[in-house]
Amino acid sequence: MLKNILLILIFTMTSSYGVEEKNIKSVMDAKIKQSIDILKNKSLSQKQKEKTIIKIMDPIFSYATMAKISLGKRWKTLSNSEKKAFTKAFEHKMKHSYIDKLKLYNNQKVITLKPKKVKKNRIKLTTKIIGNNETYKIVNSFYKKKGTNQWFIYDVSLAGVSIIQTYRKQFKAFLKTKSFDALLKTL
Amino acid sequence: MSNIHNETNTSFENEDDSDTFEDEFSSDDSKDIIDPLYTYNRAMTTFNDTAFTYILNPISEGYATITPEPIRQGVSNFIHNILFPIRFTNNVLQGKFQNSSDELERFVVNSTVGIVGIFDPASSYLNIPAHNEDFGQTLGHYGVGAGFHIVLPLLGPSNVRDSIGLVADAYLSPLVYYKGLEKYRLPSNDVQTFAILGFDIVNKNSLHLGAYESLKKDAIDLYPFLRDFYEQKRMTDIEE
Repeated sequence: MLKNILLILIFTMTSSYGVEEKNIKSVMDAKIKQSIDILKNKSLSQKQKEKTIIKIMDPIFSYATMAKISLGKRWKTLSNSEKKAFTKAFEHKMKHSYIDKLKLYNNQKVITLKPKKVKKNRIKLTTKIIGNNETYKIVNSFYKKKGTNQWFIYDVSLAGVSIIQTYRKQFKAFLKTKSFDALLKTL
Repeated sequence: MSNIHNETNTSFENEDDSDTFEDEFSSDDSKDIIDPLYTYNRAMTTFNDTAFTYILNPISEGYATITPEPIRQGVSNFIHNILFPIRFTNNVLQGKFQNSSDELERFVVNSTVGIVGIFDPASSYLNIPAHNEDFGQTLGHYGVGAGFHIVLPLLGPSNVRDSIGLVADAYLSPLVYYKGLEKYRLPSNDVQTFAILGFDIVNKNSLHLGAYESLKKDAIDLYPFLRDFYEQKRMTDIEE
């Protein structure tokens, strides 16, 4: 009996990459609540908070897809090792950017709306942060990985600005005049 | 930091959704941005960034340490409330009648129960959302294009349409001195207008310390980043 419980626990922890469609809202609600609780926990150091929240959010992000989209057509021209290096650097950048923004949270009320299915394999989930005199909207865009029924986040919009689109534009402009290796170094 | 790589990482060949992603993101890839004021905009961005980092931000931080947050929030609420004519007019001009009525309710409740707008019971007790519309958005609503990007001194990113919007909204603002409309205006001359504006900026910034620095972290090249961020945000604001 104990062995079965242990197996189930390990199974859910290691293979819980992505999330099933019907669970998107409940999983996100749970993760957001956990993250907020951690942010409010005064007994944890800043670094501990960051580490834990990254662990909570990691399984539902597809950094590989985000890296690929951000490079646009250039992606196909890269070698496998370049792709790997870039994805790693991009993932690192994303995480740092994300953590940095968590510091701005100031105990505001957070509401998650019902997920919107915009296409057969695209779902948008809007979270509202109710601030004073303004409501901030965060939209998480999920896609369904082909051949599975696991959904992953491929883009996040803050206050109407898509982070992947922003990077895409920046990378495009950068690569017009500089090399790919220079880009890797910058990241 | 432990790297929990997704299992999908290892075989890039399996990512076969690539074409649909390209369609989604390439809508404005092909358009090369028309930026006739590029050189000026770049220089002004550097100027604003320096002014922010070495003047505005230190002042806001100092102000934040000596002034309790509820007071600063109260000031922000008061100013937000008094700018009701701008939001109301622009919501009406855009035909957003439910939103206009929300704004009117907010104004009445916050001005009375909220004591001249210092408190915001309309949000905390009645959950009536704010609808921040301005004349730039109104113009955009009716299809007026943004025009080229202009970085305004100290005020930051803008464009032709939104700059015109600022002038129009200033005409409606109780916080801007206008000859002939003294009765409806708080400041009695231009100097006072700028003093109030300056104070508003210092105060607002003190309530959002760290936000600008955090935003900058996503920038590889500051000026194009802020320009694209601003234009994207305005497009979304106009659409909703």
